[in-house]
Amino acid sequence: MTTPNTPSTPAPLPKRDRFQFEPMNGETSPLLLLETLLKHPGRIIHELHSDRRPTLALWSLGLALAGMAIYGVVVGSLSGGMQLWIAPAKLALGTLLSMLICLPSLYIFTCLGGIDVRIRTVAGALFASVCLSALLLIGFAPVAWIFSQSTDSVAFMGGLHLLFWIIGLLFGLRLIGGLSRFRGATESARLKTWALIFFAVCLQMTTTLRPIVGRSEHFLPGEKKFFLAHWAESLGGKK
Amino acid sequence: MKRRLRALLRGDADEISAWLAEPGIRWDATCILVILLGSGLYGFTVGLWRAPLQSLYTALKFPLLILLTCAGNALLNGILAQLLGFGLSFRQTSRAILMSFALTGLILGALSPVSLFVLYNTPPLSSNATVLGHSITLLTHVFFIACAGIIANRRLYRFLEKVSDHRRTALTVLFSWLGGNFLLGSQLAWILRPFIGSPGLAIEFLREDPLRGNFYEAVGRALRHLFF
Repeated sequence: MTTPNTPSTPAPLPKRDRFQFEPMNGETSPLLLLETLLKHPGRIIHELHSDRRPTLALWSLGLALAGMAIYGVVVGSLSGGMQLWIAPAKLALGTLLSMLICLPSLYIFTCLGGIDVRIRTVAGALFASVCLSALLLIGFAPVAWIFSQSTDSVAFMGGLHLLFWIIGLLFGLRLIGGLSRFRGATESARLKTWALIFFAVCLQMTTTLRPIVGRSEHFLPGEKKFFLAHWAESLGGKK
Repeated sequence: MKRRLRALLRGDADEISAWLAEPGIRWDATCILVILLGSGLYGFTVGLWRAPLQSLYTALKFPLLILLTCAGNALLNGILAQLLGFGLSFRQTSRAILMSFALTGLILGALSPVSLFVLYNTPPLSSNATVLGHSITLLTHVFFIACAGIIANRRLYRFLEKVSDHRRTALTVLFSWLGGNFLLGSQLAWILRPFIGSPGLAIEFLREDPLRGNFYEAVGRALRHLFF
């Protein structure tokens, strides 16, 4: 078997700065949004600032929630049954609530950093960053599914989902960092502080809406609990 | 094909990067064939210590493990490459990883005669030194597979460095792919066990309950037994 020889001139592969703030091309669509988020995140920031695409933020929000719900099906597959729809619903709801809770502080912290932006732009950047996190979680979904079929340990799967979510969040938060760079800000300590707040809110949300990975008789828990206490109990084998 | 495989072994980054942009699936199919033959042949020698039937099973499962890992992580690896600023499409990412596994398959296939020689000198299952035989087989294959993996990933790194022009980006992408592939691959290997075949257990394609437990829990249990 022989393969015809192709000319050995290497095809030029694109090399670029990840945050080139330039206009987006083409009609706004979910596919274009996802592709731009992955390849040219700077363009999303540019469009949100220029306000040329009013639906961009809404698409980002919709895709972020849909992505979280899709990953939620994998999360719910450990327990199966009702959890197959409860986990996606809780993940999407928890994500939405966390974003709404943290949006005002993100706006304030952004302004404190000397960046002149409207709340609409900040909201769009937050939705886009969560959308990027959700996209990465969908990439992790086959791995998470394989593990969820192989173990009954809620603590193990909870830890694994947490690891994937943190990786997704770290990539997503780079977009928020891009927002400050777009306006020439160099001081990022405030945004890092906000990122910690967002992180803590999301973690607490998983406890507020528990159980997400395991199963329960009730949709929501009756007892209020701090997330560290809940984790300690889960690791100790208490449900 | 021979010329291409030689270039792949040489790690000729200029030539290899041109293959990434090629349309069609011919080169992908070739890589899959190389993985099937190379790692299948090596898998045959892995199971041979236990029994001929086990060697047939392992010859099927070894390439299956590689291909399932590639398929399961294709989306994730593509997303990671793009997020980390690497200009490869999903298809090009999958092809690059497939080529790296094809190289692993070539190396393992070439090590099969050595593996057979080790087997010839290993105490057989029927001897009094069964535990020693099992340990030698296990350690030999861990060593060979680790060598093949390290060589293939060094080649992949050189190629990534050539494509990205940035050492740091190439290294980040490589380690992110390795992390994902290790995570999924180790669990798939757990599900597809046994490969060598424990002396005290029956020969079977998969264990009775392959989805019971996972690799990391087993490692955790082993560590607990060891230290506590």
